[in-house]
Amino acid sequence: MTVTADAVRMTDGTTYDLAIRTTGLRMRYGQRDVLDGMDLEVRRGELFALLGPNGAGKSTTIEILEGYRRRSAGDVEVLGRDPERGDPSWRARIGIVLQSSRDHGRWQVGDMLDHFARHYADPFDAAELMERVGLTAQAYQPLSTLSGGQRRRLDVAMGIVGRPELVFLDEPTTGFDPEARRDFHELIAELRNERGMTIVLTTHDMTEAQQLADRIGILQSGRLTALGTLEELAAAASARSEVRWTDEDGVTQRLLTADPSQTLWELHQQFNGPIPGIEVRRPTLEDTYLGMVGTDLPEGSETDLTAARTETS
Amino acid sequence: MNAFRLGLHRGAIELRQVLRTRKDLYAYLTTPVVFLGIGYWRAGGHKGEMTQLSLAGGIASTIVMFGLMTVPQFLFGDREDGTLLRLRGIPGAMTSYLTGKTLFVLVNLIASVVLLIVGGATLLGADLPSGPGQWLTLCWVVLLGIAAVVPMGAAIGAVLPAAREALALYMLPVMGLMFISGAFAPLRNLPSWVQDFASVFPLRWIAQGVRSALLPDAAKVLEPTGSWQLLSMMGVLAIWVVLGFLLAPQLLRRMTSRESGSRLSEREQKRVAKTAY
Repeated sequence: MTVTADAVRMTDGTTYDLAIRTTGLRMRYGQRDVLDGMDLEVRRGELFALLGPNGAGKSTTIEILEGYRRRSAGDVEVLGRDPERGDPSWRARIGIVLQSSRDHGRWQVGDMLDHFARHYADPFDAAELMERVGLTAQAYQPLSTLSGGQRRRLDVAMGIVGRPELVFLDEPTTGFDPEARRDFHELIAELRNERGMTIVLTTHDMTEAQQLADRIGILQSGRLTALGTLEELAAAASARSEVRWTDEDGVTQRLLTADPSQTLWELHQQFNGPIPGIEVRRPTLEDTYLGMVGTDLPEGSETDLTAARTETS
Repeated sequence: MNAFRLGLHRGAIELRQVLRTRKDLYAYLTTPVVFLGIGYWRAGGHKGEMTQLSLAGGIASTIVMFGLMTVPQFLFGDREDGTLLRLRGIPGAMTSYLTGKTLFVLVNLIASVVLLIVGGATLLGADLPSGPGQWLTLCWVVLLGIAAVVPMGAAIGAVLPAAREALALYMLPVMGLMFISGAFAPLRNLPSWVQDFASVFPLRWIAQGVRSALLPDAAKVLEPTGSWQLLSMMGVLAIWVVLGFLLAPQLLRRMTSRESGSRLSEREQKRVAKTAY
Protein backbone atom coordinates (compact mmCIF):
# COMPACT_ATOMS: atom_id res chain seq x y z
CA MET A 1 0.00 0.00 0.00
CA THR A 2 1.23 3.48 -0.76
CA VAL A 3 -0.28 5.34 2.10
CA THR A 4 2.77 7.51 2.70
CA ALA A 5 2.78 8.71 -0.88
CA ASP A 6 -0.47 10.52 -0.21
CA ALA A 7 0.85 12.44 2.77
CA VAL A 8 1.08 16.09 1.94
CA ARG A 9 3.90 18.23 3.17
CA MET A 10 2.62 21.69 3.82
CA THR A 11 4.80 24.74 3.28
CA ASP A 12 5.25 25.08 7.02
CA GLY A 13 6.62 21.54 7.24
CA THR A 14 3.60 19.83 8.82
CA THR A 15 2.21 16.83 7.02
CA TYR A 16 -1.16 15.25 7.10
CA ASP A 17 -2.80 12.61 5.04
CA LEU A 18 -5.12 13.84 2.36
CA ALA A 19 -7.53 11.59 0.54
CA ILE A 20 -8.55 14.30 -1.90
CA ARG A 21 -7.05 17.56 -2.98
CA THR A 22 -8.27 19.82 -5.76
CA THR A 23 -6.73 23.14 -6.76
CA GLY A 24 -8.50 25.51 -9.09
CA LEU A 25 -10.82 22.77 -10.33
CA ARG A 26 -12.82 24.08 -13.24
CA MET A 27 -15.48 22.48 -15.40
CA ARG A 28 -16.81 24.32 -18.37
CA TYR A 29 -19.65 23.27 -20.65
CA GLY A 30 -19.76 25.57 -23.63
CA GLN A 31 -19.84 29.08 -22.20
CA ARG A 32 -20.94 28.05 -18.73
CA ASP A 33 -18.67 27.27 -15.80
CA VAL A 34 -20.28 24.49 -13.84
CA LEU A 35 -17.33 24.48 -11.47
CA ASP A 36 -15.49 27.72 -11.08
CA GLY A 37 -12.08 27.14 -9.54
CA MET A 38 -12.75 24.83 -6.64
CA ASP A 39 -10.14 24.29 -3.93
CA LEU A 40 -10.98 21.35 -1.74
CA GLU A 41 -9.16 19.12 0.70
CA VAL A 42 -10.56 16.01 2.29
CA ARG A 43 -8.48 14.29 4.96
CA ARG A 44 -8.17 10.57 5.40
CA GLY A 45 -10.70 9.02 7.72
CA GLU A 46 -12.99 11.99 7.41
CA LEU A 47 -16.66 12.01 6.52
CA PHE A 48 -17.05 14.96 4.22
CA ALA A 49 -20.39 16.22 2.97
CA LEU A 50 -20.70 18.28 -0.17
CA LEU A 51 -23.88 20.20 0.40
CA GLY A 52 -25.72 22.28 -2.11
CA PRO A 53 -28.94 22.84 -4.00
CA ASN A 54 -29.71 20.86 -7.15
CA GLY A 55 -27.62 21.98 -10.08
CA ALA A 56 -24.86 23.44 -7.93
CA GLY A 57 -22.26 21.10 -9.43
CA LYS A 58 -22.15 18.37 -6.78
CA SER A 59 -22.49 15.45 -9.17
CA THR A 60 -20.02 16.99 -11.59
CA THR A 61 -17.49 17.32 -8.77
CA ILE A 62 -18.00 13.73 -7.65
CA GLU A 63 -17.76 12.40 -11.20
CA ILE A 64 -14.47 14.22 -11.73
CA LEU A 65 -13.10 12.82 -8.46
CA GLU A 66 -14.25 9.32 -9.43
CA GLY A 67 -12.44 9.60 -12.75
CA TYR A 68 -15.69 9.45 -14.74
CA ARG A 69 -15.41 12.92 -16.20
CA ARG A 70 -12.56 14.98 -17.61
CA ARG A 71 -12.13 18.36 -15.99
CA SER A 72 -11.53 21.53 -17.99
CA ALA A 73 -8.74 22.85 -15.76
CA GLY A 74 -7.12 22.58 -12.37
CA ASP A 75 -5.26 19.92 -10.42
CA VAL A 76 -6.94 16.96 -8.82
CA GLU A 77 -5.44 14.26 -6.65
CA VAL A 78 -7.47 11.40 -5.24
CA LEU A 79 -5.55 8.93 -3.08
CA GLY A 80 -2.38 10.43 -4.50
CA ARG A 81 -3.38 9.98 -8.13
CA ASP A 82 -4.89 12.04 -10.88
CA PRO A 83 -8.27 10.33 -11.39
CA GLU A 84 -7.98 10.76 -15.17
CA ARG A 85 -4.97 8.45 -15.01
CA GLY A 86 -6.32 6.01 -12.45
CA ASP A 87 -5.32 2.39 -13.10
CA PRO A 88 -7.08 -0.75 -11.81
CA SER A 89 -5.04 -0.79 -8.59
CA TRP A 90 -6.19 2.78 -7.88
CA ARG A 91 -9.78 1.85 -8.79
CA ALA A 92 -9.65 -1.00 -6.30
CA ARG A 93 -9.05 1.48 -3.47
CA ILE A 94 -12.16 3.49 -4.32
CA GLY A 95 -15.79 2.61 -3.79
CA ILE A 96 -18.56 4.28 -5.77
CA VAL A 97 -22.24 4.46 -4.94
CA LEU A 98 -24.13 6.12 -7.76
CA GLN A 99 -27.24 8.24 -7.39
CA SER A 100 -29.56 5.53 -8.63
CA SER A 101 -29.17 2.18 -10.28
CA ARG A 102 -31.16 -0.52 -12.01
CA ASP A 103 -28.35 -2.56 -13.54
CA HIS A 104 -27.98 -6.37 -13.31
CA GLY A 105 -31.72 -6.70 -12.77
CA ARG A 106 -31.67 -10.43 -13.42
CA TRP A 107 -28.84 -11.16 -11.00
CA GLN A 108 -29.51 -12.46 -7.52
CA VAL A 109 -28.27 -10.40 -4.60
CA GLY A 110 -25.91 -13.12 -3.38
CA ASP A 111 -24.41 -13.80 -6.84
CA MET A 112 -23.92 -10.10 -7.41
CA LEU A 113 -21.93 -9.44 -4.22
CA ASP A 114 -20.00 -12.69 -4.44
CA HIS A 115 -19.05 -12.21 -8.09
CA PHE A 116 -17.87 -8.63 -7.72
CA ALA A 117 -16.06 -9.34 -4.44
CA ARG A 118 -13.77 -11.60 -6.49
CA HIS A 119 -12.48 -8.57 -8.41
CA TYR A 120 -10.66 -7.32 -5.30
CA ALA A 121 -7.60 -8.52 -3.41
CA ASP A 122 -9.05 -8.29 0.09
CA PRO A 123 -12.83 -8.04 -0.18
CA PHE A 124 -15.48 -8.30 2.49
CA ASP A 125 -17.19 -11.66 2.73
CA ALA A 126 -20.36 -11.46 0.65
CA ALA A 127 -22.53 -13.24 3.21
CA GLU A 128 -21.23 -11.04 6.04
CA LEU A 129 -21.87 -7.92 4.00
CA MET A 130 -25.43 -9.01 3.17
CA GLU A 131 -26.01 -9.53 6.85
CA ARG A 132 -24.68 -6.06 7.67
CA VAL A 133 -26.90 -4.27 5.15
CA GLY A 134 -29.88 -6.44 6.09
CA LEU A 135 -30.31 -8.30 2.80
CA THR A 136 -29.68 -11.87 3.94
CA ALA A 137 -33.34 -12.74 3.40
CA GLN A 138 -33.09 -11.41 -0.16
CA ALA A 139 -29.93 -13.39 -1.07
CA TYR A 140 -31.69 -15.38 -3.80
CA GLN A 141 -33.92 -12.58 -5.03
CA PRO A 142 -33.25 -10.97 -8.42
CA LEU A 143 -32.19 -7.34 -8.12
CA SER A 144 -35.16 -6.17 -10.18
CA THR A 145 -37.52 -7.31 -7.42
CA LEU A 146 -35.87 -5.34 -4.60
CA SER A 147 -37.61 -2.34 -3.05
CA GLY A 148 -36.03 1.08 -3.42
CA GLY A 149 -34.48 0.96 0.04
CA GLN A 150 -33.18 -2.59 -0.40
CA ARG A 151 -31.67 -1.68 -3.74
CA ARG A 152 -29.94 1.32 -2.17
CA ARG A 153 -28.48 -0.84 0.59
CA LEU A 154 -27.21 -3.29 -2.01
CA ASP A 155 -25.63 -0.36 -3.86
CA VAL A 156 -23.77 0.61 -0.70
CA ALA A 157 -22.71 -2.99 -0.16
CA MET A 158 -21.45 -3.07 -3.76
CA GLY A 159 -19.62 0.22 -3.17
CA ILE A 160 -17.69 -1.15 -0.20
CA VAL A 161 -17.35 -4.84 -1.11
CA GLY A 162 -13.71 -4.31 -2.12
CA ARG A 163 -12.84 -2.79 1.28
CA PRO A 164 -12.05 0.61 -0.27
CA GLU A 165 -10.11 3.39 1.45
CA LEU A 166 -12.39 6.04 0.02
CA VAL A 167 -16.10 5.84 -0.73
CA PHE A 168 -18.17 8.25 -2.81
CA LEU A 169 -21.89 8.41 -2.18
CA ASP A 170 -23.92 10.59 -4.51
CA GLU A 171 -27.21 11.71 -2.92
CA PRO A 172 -27.49 8.43 -1.02
CA THR A 173 -30.81 8.93 0.75
CA THR A 174 -32.93 10.60 -1.91
CA GLY A 175 -36.40 9.10 -1.74
CA PHE A 176 -35.93 7.41 1.65
CA ASP A 177 -38.54 7.38 4.37
CA PRO A 178 -37.32 8.61 7.78
CA GLU A 179 -36.69 5.13 9.14
CA ALA A 180 -34.73 3.96 6.12
CA ARG A 181 -32.77 7.17 6.33
CA ARG A 182 -31.88 6.57 9.97
CA ASP A 183 -30.74 3.00 9.27
CA PHE A 184 -28.70 4.25 6.40
CA HIS A 185 -27.02 6.93 8.49
CA GLU A 186 -26.10 4.29 11.07
CA LEU A 187 -24.51 2.17 8.38
CA ILE A 188 -22.48 5.08 7.02
CA ALA A 189 -21.34 6.16 10.49
CA GLU A 190 -20.27 2.60 11.25
CA LEU A 191 -18.22 2.34 8.07
CA ARG A 192 -16.34 5.43 9.03
CA ASN A 193 -15.91 4.75 12.71
CA GLU A 194 -15.19 1.03 12.67
CA ARG A 195 -13.64 0.53 9.27
CA GLY A 196 -11.83 3.85 9.10
CA MET A 197 -13.03 4.60 5.57
CA THR A 198 -12.90 8.09 4.15
CA ILE A 199 -16.38 8.97 2.98
CA VAL A 200 -17.45 11.74 0.65
CA LEU A 201 -21.16 12.19 0.18
CA THR A 202 -23.26 14.74 -1.62
CA THR A 203 -26.61 15.87 -0.36
CA HIS A 204 -29.01 18.76 -0.70
CA ASP A 205 -30.29 18.10 2.79
CA MET A 206 -28.73 20.23 5.50
CA THR A 207 -29.97 17.96 8.29
CA GLU A 208 -28.29 14.96 6.74
CA ALA A 209 -24.99 16.79 6.41
CA GLN A 210 -25.30 18.01 9.99
CA GLN A 211 -25.97 14.55 11.35
CA LEU A 212 -23.23 12.72 9.50
CA ALA A 213 -20.37 14.91 8.45
CA ASP A 214 -17.17 15.91 10.17
CA ARG A 215 -16.78 18.71 7.69
CA ILE A 216 -19.17 20.30 5.26
CA GLY A 217 -18.52 22.16 2.06
CA ILE A 218 -21.37 24.21 0.69
CA LEU A 219 -21.41 24.34 -3.09
CA GLN A 220 -23.37 27.01 -4.87
CA SER A 221 -23.33 27.80 -8.56
CA GLY A 222 -20.01 26.02 -8.95
CA ARG A 223 -18.25 27.59 -6.01
CA LEU A 224 -17.51 26.46 -2.49
CA THR A 225 -19.08 29.31 -0.56
CA ALA A 226 -18.39 27.80 2.85
CA LEU A 227 -16.12 25.06 4.13
CA GLY A 228 -15.50 23.85 7.63
CA THR A 229 -16.64 21.78 10.56
CA LEU A 230 -20.23 22.05 11.66
CA GLU A 231 -19.17 24.27 14.57
CA GLU A 232 -17.15 26.57 12.32
CA LEU A 233 -20.00 26.95 9.88
CA ALA A 234 -22.52 27.52 12.63
CA ALA A 235 -20.29 30.13 14.22
CA ALA A 236 -19.87 31.88 10.89
CA ALA A 237 -23.59 31.74 10.24
CA SER A 238 -24.54 33.17 13.62
CA ALA A 239 -21.78 35.76 13.59
CA ARG A 240 -24.35 38.21 12.30
CA SER A 241 -27.62 38.63 14.02
CA GLU A 242 -30.75 39.82 12.38
CA VAL A 243 -32.52 42.78 13.95
CA ARG A 244 -36.12 43.45 12.86
CA TRP A 245 -38.35 46.33 13.79
CA THR A 246 -41.23 48.39 12.43
CA ASP A 247 -40.35 51.87 11.19
CA GLU A 248 -42.39 55.06 11.36
CA ASP A 249 -44.32 54.16 8.20
CA GLY A 250 -45.27 50.75 9.63
CA VAL A 251 -42.87 48.88 7.33
CA THR A 252 -40.82 45.98 8.72
CA GLN A 253 -37.11 46.65 8.47
CA ARG A 254 -34.30 44.15 8.88
CA LEU A 255 -30.62 44.61 9.49
CA LEU A 256 -27.81 42.08 9.68
CA THR A 257 -25.19 43.05 12.18
CA ALA A 258 -22.27 41.61 14.11
CA ASP A 259 -23.11 43.83 17.06
CA PRO A 260 -26.86 43.74 17.73
CA SER A 261 -26.46 45.52 21.05
CA GLN A 262 -25.03 48.60 19.34
CA THR A 263 -27.85 48.52 16.76
CA LEU A 264 -30.47 48.35 19.46
CA TRP A 265 -28.87 51.27 21.26
CA GLU A 266 -28.88 53.35 18.09
CA LEU A 267 -32.47 52.44 17.26
CA HIS A 268 -33.51 53.23 20.79
CA GLN A 269 -32.12 56.71 20.44
CA GLN A 270 -33.65 57.15 17.01
CA PHE A 271 -37.12 56.24 18.29
CA ASN A 272 -36.53 58.12 21.46
CA GLY A 273 -37.98 55.26 23.43
CA PRO A 274 -39.26 51.71 22.87
CA ILE A 275 -38.68 50.25 19.41
CA PRO A 276 -41.88 48.96 17.79
CA GLY A 277 -41.90 45.30 16.71
CA ILE A 278 -38.35 44.72 17.89
CA GLU A 279 -36.91 41.25 17.31
CA VAL A 280 -33.32 39.97 17.47
CA ARG A 281 -32.35 36.59 16.02
CA ARG A 282 -29.13 34.69 15.69
CA PRO A 283 -29.58 32.61 12.54
CA THR A 284 -28.70 28.93 12.70
CA LEU A 285 -26.68 27.25 9.99
CA GLU A 286 -29.89 25.78 8.68
CA ASP A 287 -31.53 29.19 8.37
CA THR A 288 -28.58 30.47 6.44
CA TYR A 289 -28.45 27.45 4.15
CA LEU A 290 -32.16 27.53 3.46
CA GLY A 291 -31.86 31.25 2.74
CA MET A 292 -29.11 30.50 0.25
CA VAL A 293 -30.96 27.69 -1.45
CA GLY A 294 -34.22 29.58 -1.52
CA THR A 295 -32.88 32.47 -3.53
CA ASP A 296 -32.25 31.96 -7.19
CA LEU A 297 -28.79 33.22 -7.66
CA PRO A 298 -28.02 35.22 -10.75
CA GLU A 299 -24.86 34.18 -12.60
CA GLY A 300 -21.72 35.15 -10.73
CA SER A 301 -23.41 36.59 -7.68
CA GLU A 302 -21.82 35.90 -4.36
CA THR A 303 -23.62 34.98 -1.19
CA ASP A 304 -20.84 34.12 1.16
CA LEU A 305 -21.94 32.57 4.36
CA THR A 306 -19.10 34.26 6.12
CA ALA A 307 -19.69 37.62 4.53
CA ALA A 308 -23.43 38.05 4.28
CA ARG A 309 -24.03 41.61 3.26
CA THR A 310 -25.55 44.07 5.63
CA GLU A 311 -28.81 45.49 4.49
CA THR A 312 -29.64 48.90 5.82
CA SER A 313 -32.86 50.71 5.38
CA MET B 1 -8.45 -13.85 -9.55
CA ASN B 2 -7.60 -12.87 -13.07
CA ALA B 3 -10.14 -11.12 -15.23
CA PHE B 4 -10.61 -14.01 -17.67
CA ARG B 5 -11.44 -16.50 -14.95
CA LEU B 6 -13.78 -13.92 -13.45
CA GLY B 7 -15.37 -13.67 -16.88
CA LEU B 8 -15.98 -17.40 -16.99
CA HIS B 9 -17.57 -17.10 -13.56
CA ARG B 10 -19.76 -14.29 -14.82
CA GLY B 11 -20.72 -16.18 -17.97
CA ALA B 12 -21.63 -19.24 -15.89
CA ILE B 13 -23.88 -17.13 -13.63
CA GLU B 14 -25.70 -15.65 -16.63
CA LEU B 15 -26.13 -19.05 -18.28
CA ARG B 16 -27.53 -20.41 -15.03
CA GLN B 17 -30.00 -17.51 -14.96
CA VAL B 18 -31.30 -18.58 -18.37
CA LEU B 19 -31.67 -22.19 -17.26
CA ARG B 20 -33.50 -21.11 -14.11
CA THR B 21 -35.89 -18.73 -15.86
CA ARG B 22 -38.49 -20.58 -17.88
CA LYS B 23 -39.37 -17.50 -19.95
CA ASP B 24 -35.73 -17.01 -21.00
CA LEU B 25 -35.29 -20.65 -21.77
CA TYR B 26 -38.32 -20.60 -24.06
CA ALA B 27 -37.09 -17.44 -25.73
CA TYR B 28 -33.73 -19.00 -26.53
CA LEU B 29 -35.35 -22.23 -27.72
CA THR B 30 -37.75 -20.42 -30.03
CA THR B 31 -35.17 -19.80 -32.76
CA PRO B 32 -34.10 -23.43 -33.28
CA VAL B 33 -37.70 -24.62 -32.98
CA VAL B 34 -38.87 -22.12 -35.61
CA PHE B 35 -36.09 -23.16 -37.99
CA LEU B 36 -36.89 -26.83 -37.46
CA GLY B 37 -40.52 -25.97 -38.26
CA ILE B 38 -39.46 -24.22 -41.45
CA GLY B 39 -37.39 -27.27 -42.38
CA TYR B 40 -40.37 -29.54 -41.88
CA TRP B 41 -42.72 -27.29 -43.82
CA ARG B 42 -40.34 -26.77 -46.76
CA ALA B 43 -39.72 -30.50 -47.15
CA GLY B 44 -43.44 -31.15 -47.06
CA GLY B 45 -42.95 -33.95 -44.55
CA HIS B 46 -40.60 -35.87 -46.87
CA LYS B 47 -37.13 -36.78 -45.82
CA GLY B 48 -34.34 -35.59 -47.98
CA GLU B 49 -32.13 -32.85 -49.20
CA MET B 50 -34.72 -30.12 -48.96
CA THR B 51 -34.72 -30.58 -45.17
CA GLN B 52 -30.92 -30.36 -45.01
CA LEU B 53 -31.00 -27.28 -47.22
CA SER B 54 -33.41 -25.56 -44.83
CA LEU B 55 -31.45 -26.72 -41.78
CA ALA B 56 -28.28 -25.21 -43.23
CA GLY B 57 -30.16 -21.95 -43.75
CA GLY B 58 -31.45 -22.14 -40.19
CA ILE B 59 -27.99 -22.70 -38.71
CA ALA B 60 -26.49 -19.80 -40.67
CA SER B 61 -29.42 -17.51 -39.86
CA THR B 62 -29.21 -18.36 -36.16
CA ILE B 63 -25.54 -17.38 -36.08
CA VAL B 64 -26.05 -14.16 -38.00
CA MET B 65 -29.18 -13.10 -36.13
CA PHE B 66 -27.54 -13.74 -32.78
CA GLY B 67 -24.30 -11.97 -33.71
CA LEU B 68 -25.71 -8.97 -35.51
CA MET B 69 -29.00 -8.52 -33.62
CA THR B 70 -28.91 -10.11 -30.17
CA VAL B 71 -25.35 -9.06 -29.33
CA PRO B 72 -25.99 -5.35 -30.11
CA GLN B 73 -29.18 -5.64 -28.02
CA PHE B 74 -27.18 -7.01 -25.09
CA LEU B 75 -24.80 -4.06 -25.26
CA PHE B 76 -27.60 -1.57 -25.76
CA GLY B 77 -29.46 -2.94 -22.74
CA ASP B 78 -26.37 -3.12 -20.55
CA ARG B 79 -25.45 0.43 -21.46
CA GLU B 80 -28.87 1.91 -20.85
CA ASP B 81 -29.57 0.14 -17.55
CA GLY B 82 -26.23 1.24 -16.10
CA THR B 83 -24.51 -2.15 -16.11
CA LEU B 84 -21.53 -0.80 -18.03
CA LEU B 85 -21.29 2.19 -15.73
CA ARG B 86 -21.23 -0.15 -12.74
CA LEU B 87 -18.44 -2.16 -14.38
CA ARG B 88 -16.47 0.99 -14.98
CA GLY B 89 -16.01 1.52 -11.26
CA ILE B 90 -14.72 -2.00 -10.57
CA PRO B 91 -11.15 -3.03 -11.40
CA GLY B 92 -10.97 -5.56 -14.23
CA ALA B 93 -14.73 -5.79 -14.51
CA MET B 94 -14.85 -4.71 -18.16
CA THR B 95 -12.58 -7.55 -19.25
CA SER B 96 -14.50 -10.06 -17.18
CA TYR B 97 -17.77 -8.77 -18.66
CA LEU B 98 -16.55 -9.27 -22.23
CA THR B 99 -15.15 -12.70 -21.42
CA GLY B 100 -18.43 -13.66 -19.75
CA LYS B 101 -20.49 -12.44 -22.69
CA THR B 102 -18.25 -14.34 -25.11
CA LEU B 103 -18.81 -17.53 -23.13
CA PHE B 104 -22.54 -16.86 -22.97
CA VAL B 105 -22.81 -16.24 -26.71
CA LEU B 106 -20.67 -19.25 -27.63
CA VAL B 107 -22.61 -21.66 -25.42
CA ASN B 108 -25.90 -20.30 -26.69
CA LEU B 109 -24.95 -20.51 -30.36
CA ILE B 110 -23.33 -23.92 -30.13
CA ALA B 111 -26.33 -25.27 -28.22
CA SER B 112 -28.65 -23.86 -30.92
CA VAL B 113 -26.61 -25.44 -33.72
CA VAL B 114 -26.52 -28.79 -31.90
CA LEU B 115 -30.28 -28.61 -31.38
CA LEU B 116 -30.82 -27.96 -35.09
CA ILE B 117 -28.54 -30.83 -36.17
CA VAL B 118 -29.86 -33.32 -33.62
CA GLY B 119 -33.46 -32.16 -33.96
CA GLY B 120 -33.17 -32.30 -37.75
CA ALA B 121 -31.84 -35.84 -37.65
CA THR B 122 -34.26 -37.22 -35.06
CA LEU B 123 -37.45 -35.31 -35.81
CA LEU B 124 -37.16 -34.58 -39.52
CA GLY B 125 -35.04 -37.52 -40.57
CA ALA B 126 -32.35 -35.25 -42.06
CA ASP B 127 -28.97 -36.80 -42.85
CA LEU B 128 -26.05 -35.94 -40.60
CA PRO B 129 -22.77 -34.81 -42.21
CA SER B 130 -21.55 -37.87 -44.05
CA GLY B 131 -18.00 -38.22 -42.76
CA PRO B 132 -15.25 -36.71 -40.62
CA GLY B 133 -14.40 -34.27 -43.41
CA GLN B 134 -17.94 -32.83 -43.45
CA TRP B 135 -18.10 -32.71 -39.64
CA LEU B 136 -14.84 -30.80 -39.61
CA THR B 137 -16.17 -28.39 -42.25
CA LEU B 138 -19.30 -27.85 -40.17
CA CYS B 139 -17.21 -27.03 -37.08
CA TRP B 140 -14.90 -24.53 -38.69
CA VAL B 141 -17.63 -22.86 -40.73
CA VAL B 142 -19.74 -22.39 -37.58
CA LEU B 143 -16.80 -21.05 -35.54
CA LEU B 144 -15.55 -18.77 -38.32
CA GLY B 145 -19.12 -17.53 -38.79
CA ILE B 146 -19.44 -16.74 -35.11
CA ALA B 147 -16.11 -14.92 -35.14
CA ALA B 148 -17.26 -12.92 -38.17
CA VAL B 149 -20.52 -11.62 -36.69
CA VAL B 150 -20.16 -11.45 -32.89
CA PRO B 151 -17.32 -8.87 -32.58
CA MET B 152 -18.92 -6.84 -35.38
CA GLY B 153 -22.23 -7.00 -33.52
CA ALA B 154 -20.50 -5.71 -30.39
CA ALA B 155 -18.98 -2.84 -32.38
CA ILE B 156 -22.40 -1.96 -33.79
CA GLY B 157 -23.98 -2.15 -30.34
CA ALA B 158 -21.35 0.25 -29.06
CA VAL B 159 -22.24 2.95 -31.58
CA LEU B 160 -26.04 2.61 -31.58
CA PRO B 161 -27.64 5.83 -30.35
CA ALA B 162 -29.45 5.73 -27.02
CA ALA B 163 -32.92 6.00 -28.57
CA ARG B 164 -34.94 2.78 -28.77
CA GLU B 165 -35.95 3.65 -32.33
CA ALA B 166 -32.33 3.38 -33.43
CA LEU B 167 -32.27 -0.25 -32.39
CA ALA B 168 -35.49 -1.00 -34.26
CA LEU B 169 -34.33 0.88 -37.35
CA TYR B 170 -31.08 -1.06 -37.39
CA MET B 171 -32.86 -4.42 -37.10
CA LEU B 172 -34.85 -4.01 -40.34
CA PRO B 173 -31.98 -4.24 -42.84
CA VAL B 174 -30.45 -7.14 -40.92
CA MET B 175 -33.76 -8.98 -41.21
CA GLY B 176 -33.73 -8.10 -44.89
CA LEU B 177 -30.49 -10.04 -45.31
CA MET B 178 -32.42 -13.23 -44.53
CA PHE B 179 -34.33 -12.89 -47.77
CA ILE B 180 -31.52 -12.03 -50.15
CA SER B 181 -28.74 -14.29 -48.92
CA GLY B 182 -29.94 -17.58 -50.28
CA ALA B 183 -30.39 -19.04 -46.83
CA PHE B 184 -33.72 -20.64 -47.70
CA ALA B 185 -34.13 -20.22 -51.45
CA PRO B 186 -31.37 -20.77 -54.02
CA LEU B 187 -29.31 -17.63 -54.47
CA ARG B 188 -28.92 -18.15 -58.18
CA ASN B 189 -32.62 -17.45 -58.73
CA LEU B 190 -32.04 -13.86 -57.60
CA PRO B 191 -30.84 -11.04 -59.89
CA SER B 192 -27.07 -10.92 -60.05
CA TRP B 193 -26.81 -7.48 -58.46
CA VAL B 194 -28.72 -8.81 -55.44
CA GLN B 195 -26.32 -11.76 -55.35
CA ASP B 196 -23.35 -9.38 -55.44
CA PHE B 197 -24.83 -7.23 -52.69
CA ALA B 198 -25.60 -10.21 -50.46
CA SER B 199 -22.05 -11.49 -50.98
CA VAL B 200 -20.67 -8.55 -49.01
CA PHE B 201 -22.40 -9.85 -45.88
CA PRO B 202 -21.58 -13.00 -43.93
CA LEU B 203 -24.97 -14.73 -44.08
CA ARG B 204 -24.66 -15.81 -47.69
CA TRP B 205 -21.24 -17.34 -47.06
CA ILE B 206 -22.01 -19.02 -43.77
CA ALA B 207 -25.13 -20.59 -45.28
CA GLN B 208 -23.17 -21.84 -48.27
CA GLY B 209 -20.44 -23.23 -46.01
CA VAL B 210 -22.94 -25.06 -43.82
CA ARG B 211 -24.63 -26.48 -46.93
CA SER B 212 -21.26 -27.85 -48.04
CA ALA B 213 -21.12 -29.74 -44.74
CA LEU B 214 -24.71 -31.00 -44.65
CA LEU B 215 -25.43 -31.84 -48.29
CA PRO B 216 -23.82 -34.37 -50.60
CA ASP B 217 -21.05 -32.95 -52.75
CA ALA B 218 -23.23 -33.22 -55.87
CA ALA B 219 -25.55 -30.53 -54.48
CA LYS B 220 -22.94 -27.90 -55.30
CA VAL B 221 -24.41 -27.58 -58.80
CA LEU B 222 -27.22 -25.57 -57.19
CA GLU B 223 -24.78 -22.91 -55.95
CA PRO B 224 -24.34 -19.73 -58.03
CA THR B 225 -20.98 -20.82 -59.47
CA GLY B 226 -21.63 -24.53 -59.29
CA SER B 227 -19.04 -24.96 -56.56
CA TRP B 228 -18.87 -24.55 -52.76
CA GLN B 229 -16.43 -21.60 -53.04
CA LEU B 230 -14.94 -22.37 -49.63
CA LEU B 231 -11.91 -20.14 -50.30
CA SER B 232 -14.03 -17.11 -51.17
CA MET B 233 -16.08 -17.81 -48.10
CA MET B 234 -12.99 -17.88 -45.91
CA GLY B 235 -11.79 -14.66 -47.47
CA VAL B 236 -15.00 -12.68 -46.95
CA LEU B 237 -15.56 -13.99 -43.42
CA ALA B 238 -11.91 -13.34 -42.54
CA ILE B 239 -12.38 -9.69 -43.51
CA TRP B 240 -15.37 -9.50 -41.17
CA VAL B 241 -13.40 -11.17 -38.41
CA VAL B 242 -10.51 -8.72 -38.77
CA LEU B 243 -12.77 -5.66 -38.98
CA GLY B 244 -14.78 -6.81 -35.98
CA PHE B 245 -11.74 -7.44 -33.83
CA LEU B 246 -10.21 -4.11 -34.88
CA LEU B 247 -13.34 -2.02 -34.33
CA ALA B 248 -14.98 -3.65 -31.32
CA PRO B 249 -12.32 -3.03 -28.64
CA GLN B 250 -11.91 0.62 -29.61
CA LEU B 251 -15.61 1.37 -29.90
CA LEU B 252 -16.37 -0.45 -26.66
CA ARG B 253 -13.65 1.47 -24.86
CA ARG B 254 -14.95 4.75 -26.27
CA MET B 255 -18.48 3.87 -25.21
CA THR B 256 -17.59 2.99 -21.62
CA SER B 257 -15.25 5.91 -21.13
CA ARG B 258 -18.17 8.21 -21.87
CA GLU B 259 -20.49 6.69 -19.31
CA SER B 260 -21.24 8.60 -16.15
CA GLY B 261 -24.14 8.69 -13.78
CA SER B 262 -25.38 12.08 -14.88
CA ARG B 263 -25.17 11.23 -18.61
CA LEU B 264 -27.10 8.04 -18.00
CA SER B 265 -29.87 9.83 -16.13
CA GLU B 266 -30.01 12.55 -18.80
CA ARG B 267 -30.70 9.93 -21.47
CA GLU B 268 -33.19 8.21 -19.22
CA GLN B 269 -35.07 11.46 -18.64
CA LYS B 270 -35.19 12.08 -22.37
CA ARG B 271 -36.71 8.66 -22.94
CA VAL B 272 -39.23 9.14 -20.16
CA ALA B 273 -40.18 12.53 -21.58
CA LYS B 274 -40.71 10.96 -24.99
CA THR B 275 -42.93 8.16 -23.78
CA ALA B 276 -44.96 10.58 -21.65
CA TYR B 277 -46.68 11.91 -24.74
